[in-house]
Amino acid sequence: MKRKLSLLLSLLMIFTMFTACSKQGAGTETSNSDVIKIGVFEPLTGENGGGGLQELDGIKYANKMYPEVLGKKIELVIVDNKSDKGEATTAVTRLIEKDKVVAIIGSYGSGVSIAAGDIIKNAKIPAMGASCTNPMVTQGNEYYFRACFLDPFQGRVMANYALQQGAKTAAVIMQNGDDYSVGLGNFFIDAFKELTNDPNCIVDVSEFQVNDTDFNAILTNIKAKNPDVIFAPSSATTAPLIIKQARALGIKSLIMGGDTWENPSVIEVAGADAEGIVLSTFFDENDPATEEAKKFVEGYKKELAGKEPIIPAVAALGYDAYLLVRDAIERAGSTNGEAIKDALKATKDFEGVTGIINFTEEGDADKNIAVIKTVKGGQFVYIDTVEVK
Amino acid sequence: MIDQRKKHNFKLYNIIIFIVFVAFITALDLKFLGDDYVRRVLSLAAIYTIVSVSMNLVNGFTGLFSLGQAGFMAVGAYTVAIFTVPLEKRAAIFYVVDQNPVLAQIHLPFVVALILGGLLSALIAILIGIPVLRLRSDYLAIATLGFSEIIRIILTNAKSITNGALGIKGIPEMPTMWVFFGVMILSVTLIVLLINSSYGRAFKAIREDEIAAEAMGINLFKHKVMSFAIGAFFAGIGGGLLASLLGTVDPKQFYFTMTYNFLLIIVLGGMGSISGTVIASFIVTIGLEVLRFFDEPLTLLGFNIPLFRAGFRMVIFSALLMILVLFFRNGLLGQKELSWDMITSWFNKKTLRRKEKGGAL
Repeated sequence: MKRKLSLLLSLLMIFTMFTACSKQGAGTETSNSDVIKIGVFEPLTGENGGGGLQELDGIKYANKMYPEVLGKKIELVIVDNKSDKGEATTAVTRLIEKDKVVAIIGSYGSGVSIAAGDIIKNAKIPAMGASCTNPMVTQGNEYYFRACFLDPFQGRVMANYALQQGAKTAAVIMQNGDDYSVGLGNFFIDAFKELTNDPNCIVDVSEFQVNDTDFNAILTNIKAKNPDVIFAPSSATTAPLIIKQARALGIKSLIMGGDTWENPSVIEVAGADAEGIVLSTFFDENDPATEEAKKFVEGYKKELAGKEPIIPAVAALGYDAYLLVRDAIERAGSTNGEAIKDALKATKDFEGVTGIINFTEEGDADKNIAVIKTVKGGQFVYIDTVEVK
Repeated sequence: MIDQRKKHNFKLYNIIIFIVFVAFITALDLKFLGDDYVRRVLSLAAIYTIVSVSMNLVNGFTGLFSLGQAGFMAVGAYTVAIFTVPLEKRAAIFYVVDQNPVLAQIHLPFVVALILGGLLSALIAILIGIPVLRLRSDYLAIATLGFSEIIRIILTNAKSITNGALGIKGIPEMPTMWVFFGVMILSVTLIVLLINSSYGRAFKAIREDEIAAEAMGINLFKHKVMSFAIGAFFAGIGGGLLASLLGTVDPKQFYFTMTYNFLLIIVLGGMGSISGTVIASFIVTIGLEVLRFFDEPLTLLGFNIPLFRAGFRMVIFSALLMILVLFFRNGLLGQKELSWDMITSWFNKKTLRRKEKGGAL
C-alpha cells in the first residue's frame, strides 16, 4: 500500500512536469476559435472567500446576461487565489500562459491584485479589478483598471456629507492593519481638514486591532472630546459593536461608516442603536442610477432567490467589471491585449449598474456618484445620491 | 568488489541526475522549455524548499517545536522590500505617511539586501531565543507563534518604515530563475554540511535526549540558539526571495497561518529528512497547481458534474493529506535520507515479494 501510494505520488509529480510543459503549444489556436476566454481570479477559499464568492456570482450573472461578444461566445475561466499572494501570482500566470485569456477580472482584496499587477503588466493583458480599493493596484500600471470608486473619493463624499450636516469636529476610528479601513480613514481626515479649513477639526484618531470586541476605552476617550461626527470605516462584524457600545456610553454624535456597513448583520446585531447611522455605498437597489441598474436589480433579485436579503455591492461591481471588459473588446474589434487596453482607456460615459463610468489617467473608475444611506425603522433607507466633481 | 563498483555507479548516477537537473532548469530559464507558469511554480517551490529546510533544521533535527517561521520570513522580505525599491518610486508608495527620511535615501543592491535580511532575522532570533529557548515543546511553540505575531504587528504599525497595512510594491524582478534555484542549492548544501558536522550531531543528540546530550558535554543552550539563529537566517533569505518573486509585501501575508504551510511540508516530507523536505516542497507546490483541474467545471457524457467547481481543489488536497498522514506516520521518508540504496532496496523488496508469492503458488 505504502509503496503504491508513494509511487503514485511521484508519478503525479512527473506527470505535472510534462503536462505543464507540453500544453504550451495548444493555446494559440483558441484565439482563433469561436470562444473568447476571460479569466477571473478571485479568492474562493481562505480569508476573503466569502466576498470573493459574492463578486464571482455577479460576474457569472453578467456572463449569463451577455454571453457573447464579436459574435463569439465568452467563456469565463475561474481560478481560485486562496487569498494568498503566492497563489495569486501563479493563478494569474496560469490564466495568461495556459488558458490564453484575453482579459482578466479580479480580485476581491487589494493585496493579491497588487501581487498580480506586475505579471499582468509584463504580459500586456488588460485586467479589471472590481472592488479592490487600494490606490497601489492601478498605480504605475496602465494595464490594470478598476470598476469601483476609490477610497479618496469615498472619504471626500463622507467628509462633504458631515459638513452639510453642520459638523465642525470629527473623530476617526480605524482598524489597525486593514488597508481598506486605514486608507479610507486617512482620506476622510484629509478631506475634512481641507473642507473645514481647520487643522484641529479632527479631535481624535484611534486604531483598534483585528478581532477586538471591546471599544469602550476608545469610545470613552472620544466621548470626552465630544465630536460632532464619528467616522469608523470597519468591517460589518465590527461596526455593530462600535455602534452599540457608543450609544451605551451615551454618545450622541452622528456615526458614519463606509460601504462595508451596508450589510443586514449590522442592523441585526446593533438593533435599535443602528437607527440614524450613515454610510456611503456604490449603488442603491431601490433607486437605480441607470437603465442597466434597473435591469440588473430586477434580474439579480430573481437569481439570488432570497439567498441574500440585499444585493451585495461587490456583486454589482463584478457585474460592471465584466460589462466594461466586454464593451472594450466589442469596441476594440479584436482580442489583442493592447487593443483592448486602449479601448478600455477610451471608455466614455459607460452606463454601468453603479453609475456612469469613465477612467482616469491611472485607470481608476472616475465615478461621479455615491449613494448615501441611513438606517430607519430597521431598514437601510436611501438619503441622497451625491455627485462630487 | 561488487559493492565498490556499485558505489562508483551511484556516484555517477548522482552526477548525471545533477547535470540533468541543471540542464532542465537552464532550459526553462532560457525559455527553450515550458512557459512563465511553469517557471513561476518551480521558483515558488524552490523558495518554499529553502524555508522548509531551514524549519526542518530547527524542528526536525534539533527537536525544537518552533512556529516562528513566518515572522523571520517577514523580516527578510521587508528588508529586501525597503532597500531595493527604486528611490524614485518611493514617494508614490508611501503616500499616507512619508518614508523615514534616512531610509528614503538608501538603496541597496539585491544581494546585499538579501543577506542583510537574513542576518537581521538571525540577530532577532538570537535576541528572542535567549529567553524563549528555555521553554520546551508546546510552550516553545506558543512563544514563537506569539513572536511571529509581534513581528507582524510591528510591521503594521511602523508606518514610516514599512508603509503599514498598505504594503510595499515595485520590488525589482529577478532576471533569471537561477537566483532562486542557486540560493536553494547553496542553502540546502550548507544545511546538509552543517547537519553532518559535529554541530549537527550535537543537534540530533539534543533532539533524542536533552539530558543525555548534556551529560555528553554538549552545551544545550548554545546549540539551541545556534540552530534557531541559523534556521532564522535561511528563513529570512527565503522571505527576501519571496518578496522579489511576488514584487510586493504586506503584513497580512505573514499571518501565522503561513507557518503552517511549511509545517505541513516538513511533516509530509519527514521531520529530520532533508531530501524528504525538498521532495515535499515540490510535491505540495506543484500538487496544488495540478489539483486546479478539480476547480474547473467538468462535463462527462453531457452531464455537468456538480462537484467540480471552484474550491473543490482544497477538499481533494485535504483528503490527500489525510491519507498521507494515515499511511505514512513519519512522513514520506521519516528520518532517513533518499539514497540509491533505498531506491534499489525498494525495488528489490518488491521483486522479492513477488517471487515469494510466486513460490507459494
